[in-house]
Amino acid sequence: MYLDIIILVVLLLASLWTVMTRSILRSAIGLALTSVILSIVMFRLNSPLAAVFELSVCAGLISVLFVSTISITQPYTTEEILKRMKDMFARFRFLPLIIIVSAIGLAFVSIKPVINLPPPEAIKDARVMLWNVRGFDVMGQILILLTGVFGIVILFKEGLKK
Amino acid sequence: MYSSLILLPFFGVIVLNLPFRALMKKCAFWLCLSIVLFQICLILFPQICCFSDKLDALGSFFKFDFAVDSLSRVMLFCIGIVLFTALFVQRNNCEDEDKIFNFANVSLLILCGMNGVVMVKDIFSLYVFLEITAVSSFILIAFNKESVAFEGAFKYIILSAVATVLMLAAIALFLVISGDTGFSAISSALKVSQGRFFIGFAVGIFLCACFIKSGLVPFHGWVPDAYSSAPASVSVLLAGVVTKTVGIYTLIRIVNSIFGFGDPIKHLLLAVGAISIVVGALAALGQKDIKRMLAYSSISQVGYIVIGLGTGTALGLTGAIFHLFNHSIFKSLLFVNSAAVESETGTRDMDKLSGLAKKMPLTGITSILGSLSCAGIPPLAGFWSKLIIIIALWVSGFRGYAIIAVLASVLTLAYFLSWQRSVFFGILKEDLANVKEAGFGLVFPALILAVIIVGVGIFFPLFINSFALPIENILGG
Amino acid sequence: MQDKIILLPIIIPLFFGLMVFTVPKGFRAAKETLAFLATFLNLLIAIALFKSNISFSLPWAGLGLEFSLRLYNFSAFIILSIATFGFLIALYSIVFMRDKPSLKQFYAYFLITLSLASGVVLADNLVIMLFFWEGLLLTLFGMIYIGKKEAFKTATKAFIIVGIADLCLMVGIALTGHLSGTLAISQINLPLDALGSIAFILLMIGAISKAGSMPFHSWIPDAAIDAPLPFMALIPAAFEKLLGIYFLTRISMDMFRLTAGSWVSVLLMSIGAITIILAVMMALIQKDYKKLLSYHAISQVGYMILGIGTALPVGIIGGLFHMINNALYKSCLFLTGGSVEKSTGTANLEQLGGIGVKMPVTFACFIITAVSISGVPPFNGFFSKELVYDAALERGLIFYLAAVVGSFFTAASFLKLGHAAFLGKLSEKNKSVKEVSFAMLLPMIIIALLCVIFGVFNSLPIGLIQPILGKERLAGHNYSGFPSNAWLVIITIIVLLGALLNHIWGVKNKGSGLKAVDHIHYAPVLSVIYDRAEKRFFDPYEIGVKIAHGFSRIGFLFDRGIDWIYDNLTVKLTFAFTDQIKKLHNGNYSTYLIWSLAGLVLIIIFLI
Repeated sequence: MYLDIIILVVLLLASLWTVMTRSILRSAIGLALTSVILSIVMFRLNSPLAAVFELSVCAGLISVLFVSTISITQPYTTEEILKRMKDMFARFRFLPLIIIVSAIGLAFVSIKPVINLPPPEAIKDARVMLWNVRGFDVMGQILILLTGVFGIVILFKEGLKK
Repeated sequence: MYSSLILLPFFGVIVLNLPFRALMKKCAFWLCLSIVLFQICLILFPQICCFSDKLDALGSFFKFDFAVDSLSRVMLFCIGIVLFTALFVQRNNCEDEDKIFNFANVSLLILCGMNGVVMVKDIFSLYVFLEITAVSSFILIAFNKESVAFEGAFKYIILSAVATVLMLAAIALFLVISGDTGFSAISSALKVSQGRFFIGFAVGIFLCACFIKSGLVPFHGWVPDAYSSAPASVSVLLAGVVTKTVGIYTLIRIVNSIFGFGDPIKHLLLAVGAISIVVGALAALGQKDIKRMLAYSSISQVGYIVIGLGTGTALGLTGAIFHLFNHSIFKSLLFVNSAAVESETGTRDMDKLSGLAKKMPLTGITSILGSLSCAGIPPLAGFWSKLIIIIALWVSGFRGYAIIAVLASVLTLAYFLSWQRSVFFGILKEDLANVKEAGFGLVFPALILAVIIVGVGIFFPLFINSFALPIENILGG
Repeated sequence: MQDKIILLPIIIPLFFGLMVFTVPKGFRAAKETLAFLATFLNLLIAIALFKSNISFSLPWAGLGLEFSLRLYNFSAFIILSIATFGFLIALYSIVFMRDKPSLKQFYAYFLITLSLASGVVLADNLVIMLFFWEGLLLTLFGMIYIGKKEAFKTATKAFIIVGIADLCLMVGIALTGHLSGTLAISQINLPLDALGSIAFILLMIGAISKAGSMPFHSWIPDAAIDAPLPFMALIPAAFEKLLGIYFLTRISMDMFRLTAGSWVSVLLMSIGAITIILAVMMALIQKDYKKLLSYHAISQVGYMILGIGTALPVGIIGGLFHMINNALYKSCLFLTGGSVEKSTGTANLEQLGGIGVKMPVTFACFIITAVSISGVPPFNGFFSKELVYDAALERGLIFYLAAVVGSFFTAASFLKLGHAAFLGKLSEKNKSVKEVSFAMLLPMIIIALLCVIFGVFNSLPIGLIQPILGKERLAGHNYSGFPSNAWLVIITIIVLLGALLNHIWGVKNKGSGLKAVDHIHYAPVLSVIYDRAEKRFFDPYEIGVKIAHGFSRIGFLFDRGIDWIYDNLTVKLTFAFTDQIKKLHNGNYSTYLIWSLAGLVLIIIFLI
């Protein structure tokens, strides 16, 4: 119980830091941290699949994308950027590994659900759920991704060229 | 048959991005236009769709599950008309082939998203399609990469993100309560377990999400910036149909199909609607920028729709949906007019404009029709919808709100008259002496929309039977 | 087919009137020919229709509104009079109006007026009558308006006064229709109870204002100065008397049962008596030929109203006889005025004098008509006045005295007018004055002869008038011939001699015909009253205008007040709100976010 509260407080602090910090880079790191804590919550809520997904995509992939984008757009010369990227990768070299290992570790720690909600009727396998029941949504999600890609292409491609 | 409305734009996007880029750039506009025209025709003449069987088979592969009723059909028609207009405006304002290609792509995506929103009967699918629409509109607002446009898009993203979070949270709570995300399942579950803390909370945050998306006071902060900073064609699209679909349509659908018209919800809708009407109209009165004024006017008019919905009667609902339709038509017409003025004079500042009616007669006339329809002057279409809403309010006993609606209508007339006077009438300024009538792409859609306004207004008695009576049937269903 | 002939007096002048409108500029002779032809045809039809009884009805708007016309002895008599005057004055106008502007409009309005007047007389439905009646209002306005540049004000004045009276008439017609359940004039027969009296008075206001009685008279003297002269001879002198008194007779004889004892009768007689005295007093001091005549036109109405108001057969016959007499001599007097003006170029008495030698025929016509109007035997005015005196004396001495005093002043003022205009010293300027052309003289001669004939052979007109009252009312009496009451005749003659003596004394005192009545004009109290009256202090129109100005002043202040409230409260408040709202929208997204979250919290609290 206390552990849950502590985790939630930390989650809140991390997200606040993300929003409040002046540096955009720190903000991206804060986002990654928030995602990590969120995945812990998900583990504790007994849905490991979602937790892993959150950890790998949100905390891992997206953070990497953010950080690299921020680095690119910094008004530095190419040498400086390369140097900074090297520094950064040096600094965060082990972060994904640490995150994944700690996540797997957490997965084996069984924690009782503390929030007493009525459970969904039938817990189905995620794959079955995704394709057979929610096919429509999947197509919609594909479209969202497509839209996102378009947005980046349309809005930022020429900016990169300059 | 209706699955083609999602599949066609979807395949359209895919076809456009196949390798033959040079060819596709040439035909992107026409492909997009033909898909939009197909949608309009399909709604007007359902029997034309001869290949629907095959498309339905394809739809079943994706597990498509639709519920299309008369409300959906009205929205699909509006989406078609307004997107048609926006495409013309974009083509007129921009010669760059790349830009038109990109615009066509995003238009198809947003079409897909809006059609999905209008047709789904599952709350999670609704959310997904809302997101498609929202993301597409962010891109469209910032389409010209101006810094103000980025600022407007940013405000929209921030508030829209809040709405998304609220909506997702509400969906999660509904899922927990009912175990399913279909409208009917949630509705019956809500009926069984009424009055619980959860339900009030979930309903509240979902309604707030809808309010943010529709831009009602006090959730409207993003509206003026987003509408006024967006490119002309996008303003038409956003004001005409995007916020109406993602906000108002969702609100109507959810309240009608899931929440039902309980007393607290009625009072909430009436209060929010009345505040929006008054604040929007007052704020519109003080604007000098044409598009900002139209944006505030949009807030005010959305208030009318919500107040009509808030009566919870068949008449009020009919009025609300009819006004939704009218608002789509006349607000996109007015944005087209403002685009015409801006493209010919290079400014949207009312103080710098005057006497344009002599130089731009068609724009002047259509804008008068649009304004008068918005202000509710007979026999234009807007008059009938406002009348129905006010009658519905009076009949259901919300007399105070009816009086507010009537008085605010005077304010509406006031700001539109001041707009007309300062822009289209008066003495022509010297530096505007060389202004010409706007191009075909701006005049042609304006004329079509004006014809719809006048036609629907004059032939209202014919229209009411085929339009309004079916709407009454969807009440509570 | 036979009964459709009744439409002709309405259709023919209307048709020709509209034809005149289509005549292009420059074709003066065509317009004159059309006017002459129309009035001549109209006269022939009126003669042909005389003595016939025709009813004509066309179903029209429903609700008892039928386009029904009725010709019987009374209306045929009036139609004939209208046609005669129309013809004679048209003949006169052709010469008189030759060099005047707006000829086309004058003839067109003239003919349309003729048509509408026939319509009023023939109508057998109150609403149809009202239609023609209101039409006359428009042509009246038009005919005054075309007179001079400054005539617009007078035209407006006439329009407003007559319009107000017509409004009363309209209300009266509605009330009458409500009371009687029908709008057909020949079927209405109401008692004078409370509501009936109100209806009667409203209709009466319409009738006497058309006739030009006080207090609805004040546009006539103004019009005398501004309007074309044939208009004066035609409308205020002839047509309006004919129509107004015709309608007054109809309402008091046929539609309502006016009895001799009722207070409405006393009211009518009082109006008549007051009109006689006041108007003639005003006429006495005028220094303009036409204006002096116009006050007499008002004054003479008083005799008719007094006569009809007595509700006695002798009075009614006297009133009607006086009506036809007045139309004769008054239009002839106006025509002499027109001749004088045409020859000398002025109607101001101070610049006239001695032209009787130069214009003998005009002078002769003037003398005949002047003695007629003064009531000298054996001219027509004498007989009709005697009948009215007889009736007035029977109803009360005071009314009789008013009539006799009026007669005295009438005689005095015409002595003054004749002396000042035709006798006395011929001024240098008028040395070359010539008699007017034959076409202008002919109508005057005819009318003057008629005055004599109607006087000497008074059984001729009275024989036409008596059947109008019906056999029961007459009860076997015959009022033609020499007056039966010798005392009255003697008093009349004494009064007339008194007037003559007064004139001689005045001339001796002051030395000129024009100043013969100055001792009355400048009498201690009267001079002040006259002074005020000349400045239009007593003009009901001016008083009404002043009251209206007062109201409009108050209304203006009220309006300013509302305007102020609107400006300062509504608009400023609105813009204050607008400014506040604009200030709140500072463009900072965190502000907007805070609003949204606050709204969210409120809504959740509300719903939970």
